[in-house]
Amino acid sequence: MLLLPLLIAWTMAVILALLDGRRRWVGGLAIGAMTVVFIATFRLLLDVLQHGSREIVAGGWPPGLGITLRADELGIVFALVSNGVLLIALIYEVLEGVHERAMPALVLFLSTGLTGLFLTGDAFNFYVFFEISMTTSFVLATYGQRQREIRAALIFTVVNLLGSVFFLSAIASLYHLTGTLDMRALTAAAGTLEQNSITLTADFIFVAFGVKLGLFPFHFWLPPVYRDTWPAVAAILSGAVANIGSYGLLRFGAEILSRELRLSAGVLVVLGAISILYGALQAISVRTANEALAYSAIGQAGYILVALGIGGPVGIGAAILYALINPLNKTLLFLATGLRGWLVGAAFAIGAFSVAGIPPSLGFFGKVALFQVGIADNSVALVILLFIGGALSLIYMFQIYQRVHWTTEKTEQPSSVQSRVLVMGVAVLILALGLWPEPLLLASQRATDMLIGGR
Amino acid sequence: MNLLLALSVAVLFGAGTFLMLKHDLIRMAVGVLMISNAVTLFIMSVGLSRGQAPIYPLAEGRPISDPVVQSLTLTAIVISFGLTALLLTIIYRVYTLYGTLRGPDDATQDDHAETAGELLAQRPRNEPPRERSRA
Repeated sequence: MLLLPLLIAWTMAVILALLDGRRRWVGGLAIGAMTVVFIATFRLLLDVLQHGSREIVAGGWPPGLGITLRADELGIVFALVSNGVLLIALIYEVLEGVHERAMPALVLFLSTGLTGLFLTGDAFNFYVFFEISMTTSFVLATYGQRQREIRAALIFTVVNLLGSVFFLSAIASLYHLTGTLDMRALTAAAGTLEQNSITLTADFIFVAFGVKLGLFPFHFWLPPVYRDTWPAVAAILSGAVANIGSYGLLRFGAEILSRELRLSAGVLVVLGAISILYGALQAISVRTANEALAYSAIGQAGYILVALGIGGPVGIGAAILYALINPLNKTLLFLATGLRGWLVGAAFAIGAFSVAGIPPSLGFFGKVALFQVGIADNSVALVILLFIGGALSLIYMFQIYQRVHWTTEKTEQPSSVQSRVLVMGVAVLILALGLWPEPLLLASQRATDMLIGGR
Repeated sequence: MNLLLALSVAVLFGAGTFLMLKHDLIRMAVGVLMISNAVTLFIMSVGLSRGQAPIYPLAEGRPISDPVVQSLTLTAIVISFGLTALLLTIIYRVYTLYGTLRGPDDATQDDHAETAGELLAQRPRNEPPRERSRA
């Protein structure tokens, strides 16, 4: 049960790698495989919510010796969201016409890496899956193979390789300090360590995931990459791959190194606030839609960091909820910028409302959770910051809307009906989840309880 | 021994960082490789312990050197090998597309597109992209 999504994704990725992904039927096969992976993840989520976390030790070793695969509430919701984003982006690209033979296989490999990363209980195994996902996304970034995509891929690869190096050093020093790599044992051991020894390790982890998520001081690679990659790839990078950053911060920050997280609360809140303002202001000032969305991604990452910095059950709950909602918004917006014609404008507007946090879209609940954090923390400054951030996001979103969808250029061919319907479907999903948010709220509440209870 | 390893890691990391900041892409790739080798060495050094090789049968009463670190190092070496190959491939693509290894210049191309519409107009979706780039 636990291994099912991983095994299906990996097997199908290997099979698809041998086939020519440009053919329609191969694309259909890939969509079928991705759907099965998504359903398997969903069933695992239901299982975990009903019966608590699942655990397998690979190779039949006794626990503590072998590599543990563990599906708990936090990991599985992230796996579900990421696989959902991958599924949507894959359908979109198959409808639009795949250009390269490896593309569907790469999406499945990425699904393997991400699912494994979210479902592992071992820090080094986390790194291995992390590298599988990163390597796949480096290749995906080249998708299109023109000058701009290759340039984006080069920037993306070099910067993220450095991020991985930091993460690997952090894992090595965690092993040195605690003598274990199992996450649960690490959580237990990290609390008892002497403060000085582990602070630098915590910094390394923060830098590694900050690079991945595109937080303020580590954001410089993100705008050119999101701007220049193909729309479906940009959606995958911002909706699925960036989840590694938020999940990593939650897993390593809020669970394993919770004491260090509390110590650095001030820094996190300040960096998050800068990210929010910087991202929003830059998004207003740039001209192209993709670049504005890229800066918007930096701003959205800031909200997660602020909530995480304030911490406590309310803060961590808001961080998880926001980290789950944000990928859906980003996927919808990046996919919508690649299309033309009616329905697309409406879908984009729904995504824009969701980013700004206007009901009945899903983003409203993310914003409500963040405002609750501000009120729980008795912080007027934070509430004002959230309000300004929301207002600015409304401005830049409708600037894009005005430039892209209010121009009536006769030269533009409307995109194919199916992909427009798909994008509208994602928009309807966001509205539907906004009208009936209980499942998502419940899942993120359970994940929060698990994280807080794990201390 | 610890000091020697720490120095080697520092020198490798420093030299790698220096090379990474060069404009020449091959030097940059070498820099990335040196940094990842520095980390490999770092992993080795975190579990440095004297003892017999961790292979059965073990002699009684003598300390055993830590096998986990060695397996981690092996994995890290394999991963960095794969990533270096990928990085070199991307650099080769840059070379074939831009005709230079000085690093892609940020202002050469479509940064000047005014609106998203113009940007999109430059990338028609149904054309095979490879021909376009060579045109």
